[in-house]
Order: sequence, then structure tokens, then C-alpha cells
Amino acid sequence: MQREMTFTGRFIRRTMAVLCLMAGTALALPQTAAAEFPEKPVTLVVWSGAGGSLDTYGRKLAELLEREAGWTVKVDNRPGGSGAVGLSQIVTQPADGYNILVLTGTLTFGIAQGLIPFKLEDLRLLRAMQSEPSSLAVMNDSAFQTVDDFVTYMKEHPNELRVGGHSSGGFHQYMLYQLMKQGGFESGWIPHDASGKVTLALLGHHIDAAMMTPSTALSQVKSGEIRLLGVSTAERSPFLPDAPTFKEQGYDIEGAIWRGIAVKAGTPDDAVDAIQAAIDTVTASEEWKTFQEEQFQDSPDWAEAEFTERVQKDLAEQAEFLKSAGFVQ
Amino acid sequence: MDGVIQSLGVIFSLSGLVVLLIGALLGIVIGALPGLGPSIGLSLLIPFTYSMSPELSMLLMISLYTSAEYGGSISAILLSTPGTAAAAATAIDGYAMAQKGQANEAISISLTASTVGGVLGGLALLLLAMPLAKLALQFGPAGYFAVGLFGLTSVAALSGGSLVKGLLGAAFGLGLATVGIDPIAGTPRFTFGHFELYEGVPFLAALIGLFAVSEAMALAEKHACKAPMNKSRVGHVFMSAAVWKETWRSMLSGSVIGTLLGILPGVGGNIACWVARDYARARDPHPETYGKGAANGIAAPEASNNATVGGALVPLLSLGVPGSPTTAIMMGALIMHGLHPGPQLFAEQPTLVYAILFGVIIASLVQYLVGSLFLPIMARTVLLPDGVIAAGILTFAVLGAFAIRNLMFDVWMTLAFGLVGYAMKKLNFPVAPVILAMVLGYLVESNYRTALVSSQGDYMVFLTDPISVLFLLLSLVSILVPVRRAWRAKRPVRGGQGA
Repeated sequence: MQREMTFTGRFIRRTMAVLCLMAGTALALPQTAAAEFPEKPVTLVVWSGAGGSLDTYGRKLAELLEREAGWTVKVDNRPGGSGAVGLSQIVTQPADGYNILVLTGTLTFGIAQGLIPFKLEDLRLLRAMQSEPSSLAVMNDSAFQTVDDFVTYMKEHPNELRVGGHSSGGFHQYMLYQLMKQGGFESGWIPHDASGKVTLALLGHHIDAAMMTPSTALSQVKSGEIRLLGVSTAERSPFLPDAPTFKEQGYDIEGAIWRGIAVKAGTPDDAVDAIQAAIDTVTASEEWKTFQEEQFQDSPDWAEAEFTERVQKDLAEQAEFLKSAGFVQ
Repeated sequence: MDGVIQSLGVIFSLSGLVVLLIGALLGIVIGALPGLGPSIGLSLLIPFTYSMSPELSMLLMISLYTSAEYGGSISAILLSTPGTAAAAATAIDGYAMAQKGQANEAISISLTASTVGGVLGGLALLLLAMPLAKLALQFGPAGYFAVGLFGLTSVAALSGGSLVKGLLGAAFGLGLATVGIDPIAGTPRFTFGHFELYEGVPFLAALIGLFAVSEAMALAEKHACKAPMNKSRVGHVFMSAAVWKETWRSMLSGSVIGTLLGILPGVGGNIACWVARDYARARDPHPETYGKGAANGIAAPEASNNATVGGALVPLLSLGVPGSPTTAIMMGALIMHGLHPGPQLFAEQPTLVYAILFGVIIASLVQYLVGSLFLPIMARTVLLPDGVIAAGILTFAVLGAFAIRNLMFDVWMTLAFGLVGYAMKKLNFPVAPVILAMVLGYLVESNYRTALVSSQGDYMVFLTDPISVLFLLLSLVSILVPVRRAWRAKRPVRGGQGA
């Protein structure tokens, strides 16, 4: 009995060894031949903490990269330093495409303000996958019905209204600045350190108007408790068909905060191509489309060339804004 | 009504109870480990909740959230190492009690108070969500500033013997709170080019360093000197009638304070625990026992930090706006299921909403059950030799520090704070005022300046906002009452035993 067991054991072990060897050669051949990306798990470095919109996007992307593209993906939250912590995580790793940064359009503000000690040239911006506009929002008991109402009032009563939004010197203040330039009025800015607090401040009448992403006050916008006077998209968003754009009211204000992915500069083209192909399968999937709709996200789907060009343009314009608004000398 | 019955069906189903038990187990462990708090715990859970129904995923998260608030007190009591920021206030009296050989009693008080706080906070959420949300909206920047100032007045109560040392500690903490990006101007201050400091000096690094690392050093030193150590006996879980009688008032006041501060975004348990302790102390006929192992010094903060769970869910469920990092993660999990929290959720998903509402209460009870099974094992930790405890504290402190943002920077920061804490111990400086001032510094400064920006520099904004006036008056009372008491004690009483 004992001997039989060991014999069977030995037999199994030998068979296993042979099988492994065979499998090994079989797998090794195509690997050396084509070097399919990815050969090992890929890390998505999300430059914000868990739970926010960027994190939700990053995790959905990870889930779909696993399901649709067959990758193995790990999500790594690296919040801090206005994104600099996540960015430094990427640039200190090899440029092989295995560390993909999940980032937002605050990148250009961070660089322009000198908060992110890196350059655009440190990254290859691969794809912008989501974007959300800003909007001028008031409570439904406000007298303002249009952007013009607001602009006219501000012209006659400079600095009188309390206007605020998320962060200081960021995207939403930049949108207000453009409105100020085009409308010819002066306004202060009350910064809030979280977008949810902007909604609360508006609901509690602690500010009179906000520049905010419509989805941060989704249920109030839907119920009509908060009125959007103007939205910074080119055309009316399918999610908010009743909310007019700035453009249709004669203000040339268009802008959105994108969310997308980037890798370290110098990542070889074949790895980048494989990532782009995988992203294509994700964006083509029904689940991604449903997710985008549920999240009220526009899908810019800018690939590398267009994405990079837009971001460079954003950086130049925002640097100009920050200089004239006194944020940087 | 259907929603109520169906939600109870989900909670009391086998999978519902299993999820609650798992959440409680994980929560207690994650809470007890320094650095790992409810928000890190929930973010670790997120990937596992995708495949669950929204109801079960919320039950799991709530259970972990609640139990982590209790779990934080275990290490605070046994090792003077607050496992969560909201357990910092518990460390003072809890550890003092454990040093007297009453670790078991201290944990049972904490467990009971946490359960009472969790249930009361949950009841408030269930019955008063809408009025509480309306109340939260009344708080503008001036109001938040005054609340923060009121919190700062409890420095006096935390100063131990010397008010001067307490104030110096608070000044140090306020100074640390100015590091980071300026809340109004958006430019970095005192960061010396380290972008790791843009969000400010990591609060958890200071907490773990000042409390845990310094205690590990003191323990190691004691071990080297072979000083005799008071070891406790491990006993029963239930609180005696006498302790109930002593602590029920502070559990009640702690729960109310926790619920109210929990609904305010950016305030929450980290601040509620100090305010609750201070309130209990001010009402106590024997305030001098605080800091030396007062039962109410555990009951009040522990009831309050668990009550913040129900409070924190108020803005999320009634307004669709998360008020804390933890509830933001829960919102993220709901969004992953294609659900958007807010008032319309009551109509669209009544089962889910009631599962959350009842879940907070049931999760607190499950936490009591799991906690009481854990207690005898936990309480045995103090029987270990000091050297082992010191090494254990240091290990978990470094792990916790790294877990904050996966940065070695935070580990070095924590160890540096450990040295500072050790020096403070040697010089008899209390560390609690530093922690309190760090928690409140940003709240006070950012809201003070926001209020002035909103009013275009008019200081009257602090006197025209009713909530601001209320809390400014409370701050004044909080400062003057002890002064008056001290003055009376010094003044000879005519015909009395003085003079």
C-alpha cells in the first residue's frame, strides 16, 4: 500500500513535470515571437482617493479591461499633492506601459499653478474617456432665468453676489473668469474644498450662484430645486435637455473637465498600441456605454494626438488666466 | 411599507446576516489597527461589493464602518494607540483605566457606549433625516468657524495639570494645520517644496506618531528598567448596573453630540469625540477624575463617534451629497451599481434605503455581539510583556503610516512625530491638545476666511449668522465656567470651611 502510494506519487510528479515543460515551451514560443502586451498584471494608478468620480471611472475601466480585453488589472489609489503623488508614481516606474495613470483635466491647472512639479512632456496622454462641463447654477427661488439676467445684474452691482465653486484657481473659477471677460463684470470667488460642499452651500443659500459640474447636484438639478442658467458644452447635453448652453445665449464659453489615461513618456509604441486597442474594446462594449449614461458623462474619446493637442492648448490658456487673475506672478 | 418589510427580509436573510457579521469582524480588526480606519477599510472592500446586490453591499459597508468606529477604541484603551482618529479622545481615559488593571471594564464600557451611540444615531437617521438635513444646510462658513472655535475651547480640559502647556501644545497643532495649500489663495504654504505636504501634514501620521510610537518608546524603556507593571484580569463583557448608572448620561449626550456633528460635512467623529468628552467632563461633579481613568471619559467619546455614522449618512441619503470621505466611498459604491443617492432614492429604491436605515441600527447590535466575543481575546493583549507590546505597536504604527497614502514620506513623518511625542511625555506635555488643534485648525481657518470672503471683509458676518452667535456664546461659556469655578474655589467662603 505504502509503496504503491509513493509509486503513484512519483508517477504523478513526473507527468506533471513533463506537462509543465511542454506547456512552458508552448507558451514561451509565441511570447518571444510577438511579445503580446500585457504579459503581466497592469496597474491603474488613480491619482485621487477611493470613492470619487475619478476613482469610480478608474475602477469601471479596470473591471472592463479585465472582462473585455482579458487583462489582469490592479487599481492603486495614490492621492495627494494635487495629483503630483500619482504622477510621480508613474514617472519613477519603467516606461513599459504597465503603470497607467488615471487622471483628470486638473492636470493643466496643477502644472500652470506650479503645484505639479512635472511637465506635459513627462507623459504620453493616451485617451480622454469622460468629460463633464461646468455650469452656472442658482437656486430655483432666484430671480435669474438666463445668463444675461445674471450678467446684467453683476454689471450693475459689481461683486455683490456671492459666487463660488470647487477649488481655488481651478476649472470652475476659470469658467467664471471667461464669463466675466465676455460679460464685462467683476465677481469675487468663494472656493470650496469639496464639490459636495458647493451643492450644500447653494442649497443653504450661503452662496448666490455657483459654477459647478451639474452632476454634483444631480438630484436637485433633476428636481428643479437648482436651476442651471448656462452649461459649458457646445450643444445641449442629452442628459440635461432643458438646460441651455452658454453658446446658445451668445457667450462663447466652452470647456469640460476630462478624465482619461496616460503613461510615462518614452513608453514604446507597441505597448501604447496594445493599450489603445484594449481601450477600444472597452469603449465599444455595451456596459461602458450604459455606465457613461448612468454617470451622465460625455464621451470625448480623444486619442493621443488630439488629446495632447487639446491639453497643450488648455495649459497655455489657463496659464494666461492664472497670471491675469493673480494666482501666479 | 413594502420597502420596510422587504428591507428587513434582506437584513435577516442568511446572506444579510453573514454580510453583517463579516463586516463587523473586519471592522473591529481594521478599526483596531492604527492608520486603517473606516474609509480605508471601505475602499479595500469596494472591489468585493461589485458582484453583490446594492442592499448587501451597503449592509457590508455600514457594518464595517460602524464596527471600525468601535474597533478604534480597543487599541486606544489597551495600547494608548487610537486605531482611528475618532478614538483619540478615548485613549486618554481608556489607557489610564487599563493601566489601573481595568482594561476589561474599559473595553466593555467602550463596546456598550459604541452600541448605544450607533443605535441612537441610526434612530435619528431613520426618524429625523429630513429635519437634520435642513439643519445641516443652515450652517454657513461663519457657523462652521464658530463650531470649530467651540471645539478648541476644550483644550483647557485636555491640558492636564498645566494650562500653559496645553495652550502651547494647541499652538503647535494650529501651526501644523497651516501647512499645505492655502484654502483660499490656492498656493502652497510651508511645504518646503514637498508636494507630499500639499494636503497638509498628514493627520494620521501625527496621531499615530504622538500617541502610538511615543508610547512604544516609553514601554520599551520601562521594559529595560524592569519596572513593575499593573496587569489586569480578564473578565466579563457586560457592564455592571453601577457602571450603567454612572455612564448612561454621557452615552446619551455623546450620542446626541455625535449625531449632530456627524451631519456636518468636514466635522464628523474626529471632532465629535473631543466635544462629547468635554461636555461630559463639564457636567460631571468630579471633573478631576478625567484623564485618570474616568468611565465617562470613555463612554462619551465612544458613544459620539458611533453616533456620527447615522449622522454622516443624513446628507448622503436626504440630499445626495456625501459629507465625509467614508460616505463618499459608499456613494461611489452605489454609483457603481448605477444608483444615485438623493431624496428620489426613497421612491426609486425603497428596499435599499430602508436596508441602509435599519442596517445602521442592526449593524450596531451585530457589532455588540461580535465585539463581546472578541473582548476576552483582545483584553489578553495587556498580559503580554511590555517589550512585545512595544514592538507590536511600532510594527502596526509603521504599517498604518504607510497605509495612509502608500508613501514612505508618511512613515518618516510618523516616526518623527513619535520622537516629538516622546519628548513631550518626558516634559509632561499633554499630546491631546496638539491633536485637537490639528483636527480643528483647518476647519477654523478655512471657514473663517471663507466667511470673510463671502461678506467682503465685514466681520459682522460672525454676529449676524444665528448659528455662529450660538456657538460663539457657547465658546465663551466654555471658557468662563472653569474660570469662575477656579475663582470660587480660591475665594474664601464666608462662614464656610474656607479661610
